[in-house]
This record gives sequence, structure tokens and C-alpha cells, in this order.
Amino acid sequence: MINLSHVSKEYKLSGESFFALRDVSFEIKEKELLAILGPSGSGKSTVMHIIGLLDNPTEGTVKINGKDVSKYTDNELSLARNETIGFVFQQFNLINKLTILENILLPTIYTRHKLTFDPKTRAMELIAKFGLLGKERSFPNKISGGQQQRVAIARALIMNPKLVLADEPTGNLDTKTGNAILDLLEKLNKEDGVTVVIITHEPDVANRCKRKLYIRDGKLYTKSDYTV
Amino acid sequence: MNYILFIIKAAFEDFNRNKMKTFLTSLGITIGVSSVVLLIALGLGLKAYIQGQFDTFGTNNLYVIPGSLSGGFSGGPPTTQLFDDKDVSSLKRIPGIANTIPVYEKYMKVEGPVTTKTYQVTTSSEEIFSTLTIKIQYGTLYTKSDVAKGAKKIVLGPKAAEKLFGAASSAIGKNATINGSAYKVVGVFEAKGGGSFGGPSIDDAIYMPVTASLSFNPTKKYASIYLKVRDSSFITPVKKEATTVMSKRYKTDEFSVIEQTELIKTINSIFGVLNTVLIAIAAISLIVGGVGIMNIMYMSVVERIREIGIRRAIGATKKDILYQFMAEAVLLSGLGGLTGLLFSWIVILFLQTLFPAYIDAPTIAIAIGVSSAVGIIFGVAPAKKAADLSPMEAIRYE
Repeated sequence: MINLSHVSKEYKLSGESFFALRDVSFEIKEKELLAILGPSGSGKSTVMHIIGLLDNPTEGTVKINGKDVSKYTDNELSLARNETIGFVFQQFNLINKLTILENILLPTIYTRHKLTFDPKTRAMELIAKFGLLGKERSFPNKISGGQQQRVAIARALIMNPKLVLADEPTGNLDTKTGNAILDLLEKLNKEDGVTVVIITHEPDVANRCKRKLYIRDGKLYTKSDYTV
Repeated sequence: MNYILFIIKAAFEDFNRNKMKTFLTSLGITIGVSSVVLLIALGLGLKAYIQGQFDTFGTNNLYVIPGSLSGGFSGGPPTTQLFDDKDVSSLKRIPGIANTIPVYEKYMKVEGPVTTKTYQVTTSSEEIFSTLTIKIQYGTLYTKSDVAKGAKKIVLGPKAAEKLFGAASSAIGKNATINGSAYKVVGVFEAKGGGSFGGPSIDDAIYMPVTASLSFNPTKKYASIYLKVRDSSFITPVKKEATTVMSKRYKTDEFSVIEQTELIKTINSIFGVLNTVLIAIAAISLIVGGVGIMNIMYMSVVERIREIGIRRAIGATKKDILYQFMAEAVLLSGLGGLTGLLFSWIVILFLQTLFPAYIDAPTIAIAIGVSSAVGIIFGVAPAKKAADLSPMEAIRYE
């Protein structure tokens, strides 16, 4: 589904350059549940930004369904983010001045194609599915962290994306609420066939996934050669 | 369409959340638009007023006045008393002229039983009344024989009569003292209106036979000569002939023979230039208002960097972000413009009790158009800044 080949990302800060990623190659297969595990500053967020088409690699290629996205225009990248990828962030990243329902509906506003579903009906289905009924007119800062993350997941799913990218989805939640969120992501993968990539620094979270990739100092490791 | 409605709705919700900020930001545009609209309305009113004043003077008139009109009309009442009876009789001989009316005007202290006030006293023949379409309300107008005899009679405008004698109807038969001599009020004419804002109104006029003014115009000189032509087809030939007649005694730059329309045009062009300059000065406040909007929009972009990042992550294009911020700037500015328009409309309603100020459809279109244009011009740079943010950096912004 997504293929990264010899991807490097170089940043220049105050004239000095450093590599956030070095020669990273891997593939995300359709319908898989994948964890990318690494400590703070390892480059895992950079991987997520590149997979999520929020950033470009300095070197290497990123292919989505066989298409090289480096040649995509801003409009094409936005369209791909809108239709193919759903984001779930550690900070939830909901827009506080919009209601829960408006937050969930937001991706449908930016679509370029005619929707095959009624956005409001689908949003209400997701609200019901994630136990948020009665909260649709509330604002994000009036609900709990766990509820906010469920809203974020609902927003990520409204366009029926093939891939959900979750960056530290439990980072701001207590263990019980975090587990509930992970249950939800796992269920999405298992029951709805959505590809889920979880980026985390917590081995316990990563252990919930079938496949794990390890990242440290911008380099990717498989389990066998990764040492903490 | 859905998206446009969404950003308009979102912008208005934002304005609602930050009422004071919205009010203060759009205040600059409100002030700018209302200043411009009020000045346009005053200009339009002035034009209508001038036209109205000339309409009260009747039609098919030519004016022989001192000085040259080419190179600018000096404005104000002419001070040079140039012409005399010889000119009047030469002009009278021109075919096509119905009346030749010499006019001498002077501001004089007029003493009535109630009050003493300075008025413009117009001395002329009895023909001035028909030329200026003046109709009597009380008493009579002075006659040809009064002019021949030099009778010390005066005809007052209703406002002057009221001021000097308490009431227009009670002035008849009473005396007013002008320049030490007593003049008998024989008539008060019907009100003609005009003359707001301290400007001279024909209703404040005082007329007396030209022959009765020798005490203050001993040489019998005239400031101007009105020529009433038989009908409009005589205007051009009479104007030409009058110019030829006057050229025999005066240099071409010492007098002018002008048509009423020419006079209106000249006056309008002078006020037009003045009005344009004032509007241009008022328009500076629109620029200041625009800078205010730009400043707030830049602040808004910084405050909302993370929101921009979220929107970009879920599929908003650069253009979507650009349009969103542009729409906010234009709506903010347009809102200011509409408030300014509403405010000036209220002021104009009040002004209309004193002066024929009014706003027309083009003025409304200009007000809305200019305020929206200010929003576009001053909103584009902050909106572009928002649109050009890297989605990755924006979403990580703390």
C-alpha cells in the first residue's frame, strides 16, 4: 500500500545539518496493524509526517499504491490526505471553536469529489459507534481526553480512509482510557479492514500490533537487530 | 458552494465570539466609509442645491458679469461695479431680449422695528421679479413708475420680513431704515426656499428700485446685467450679440456673458474638485482601517497556526486556507463598510432636514465595493502567509 524506499530526511538548523532519517526502507501492507516504536527524538514523528504526506523526504521515494508522491502537486497531496489517510494525534488536534459534530465533518468540507455517503448520517453513525451520542453539540474542551481522542478517530474515519496514522494516540491518556483507544484501533483494523499504523515510544502499546518496526537515531531496525 | 457557505458561517461565528475585536477592527473601515459616503452625499446635495437655486432664478437667462470666466471663476459676489446705464440701453437694442435688468447688490445694515440686521440689498428694475419668477404674497411689487420716480420702496423676502418686522404680513406699509433713509415696505414675496447652512437664500433678499439707491450707489454702476431672452432659441445669438456690444466698451477679459447652464457647470466643477479632494482625504482613513485589518489578520494567523496545520492535515489545500483568511478579511471589512453606510444613512436623514444631501445607488455600490476591496488588498498578505505555512510545521506549532 505504502512503500518507502531509501528515504532520508535532512534538516538544517543554524547552518548545521542533521539527519532525522537515514536510508529508511519499508512497506506498509494493506489491512495490517503496524507499530513504529522508538524513543523521543528517534525520528518516528518524521516517518509519520512523510507517510502522512505532511513532509517530503530529502532523498528516496514514497509510493502510495505504486504512485510516486514526490511528483504530486499541493492539491494532489491535499486530496490524498483527505481521502486516503486519517490522522490521530497525541494532542487530539481538534478545533476547539467547532462542535464535536463539526470537527468530525471537517474533512468532508475539503473533499474535491462528490461524496458517496451523507456526511451528517455517517458522522452520527461514528458518534454512536464511539459512544459520543449526546455530545455532538458540545465543544472539545468540554469533554474528557478519552472522548476527545474518540472524536479525533471519528474525524479520521469519516472519509473512509484506507490508512489511519496514529501518532502516540495514548500519550495524553491514562492507562485505562489509553487501552480503550487501542481496543478501538485494533477493532477498526480487525473488523473494518483499515490499515492502522501506530507510532509510539511505549513497548506495551507496540505489543498490541502484529508487526513492529523499531527506529533509533533515524535508522530503522527489525526486532532482531534492535538493541535499546 | 458548501465550502463557501461554511467559511462564511465560520467567519461570522468567529466574529460573534470576538465581538469587541471585530468591532474595533472594522471601526476604521466604518469611519472611512461613512466619511467618504457623507462627503459624496454632501457633494450630491450641494449640486442639487445649486441647481435648485438656479431654478428659482427662472430659465432662459443670460448674465453679463465683470471679469473673465476662462481660467477659473473667481466665485463670490463680484465687487467691481463696472457697468452703467449706457450698457443697459445698448443691450436693450439686441433683438430677442425680453428684459434687460441692471443689478447692483450691496450688503447693508437694515433697521426694522424688531431688529437690525445686515442684508444683501439688490437694486434693480421692476423686471427682475418676472425674470426671477418672484410672486407676491403680501402687498405689491414696486412698479415701473416707482423705478422712474426713484420711489423709496422695498420688497422683502419672507424671512427678512419676519426678522425685521416680527411677521411677514405685518411688514406692509411700515418703514425700514437703510443707510439713514427710510424705505417703505410695499410687498413681501412668496417663500422660495434654499439657503441652508448660513448660505444666502432668496427669501432673505431685499429689493428696491435702482433709482432709489443713489445714496449708496451715487454713480449708478451695476455689478451685473441680467438678460431675459424670449425663448431658448435666442440664447446663442443674444449671447454672441451681447458679447459684441460689450466688446465695444470693454476688453474681453473685463466682462463675460454667460448662460445659466455655464454658470452651474462652472460652480459645480469648482465644488466637484473641492469635494473630490475632501473625499480623497477621507479615503486615507480607509487605508488606515485596512492596515488595522491587516494587523489583526496577521495576529489571527499566528494565533491559529496549529488550526491551519490541522486543516491542512485533513485535506485543506493552500487555496482553501487562502480563501478562508481572505473571506474573513473581506467580511470584516465589508461589515465595517455596511456599518459605515448605515451610520452615514442615519446622519444623512438628519442632514436632509437642513440640506438636500442624499445617497444614490452608485454611492452604495462604491461604499460596499471599496470596503470589500480594502479587505482583499489588506487581507491577501496575511492569508498568503497562512496558506504558505508548511502543514508539518504548522501542526507541530506550540
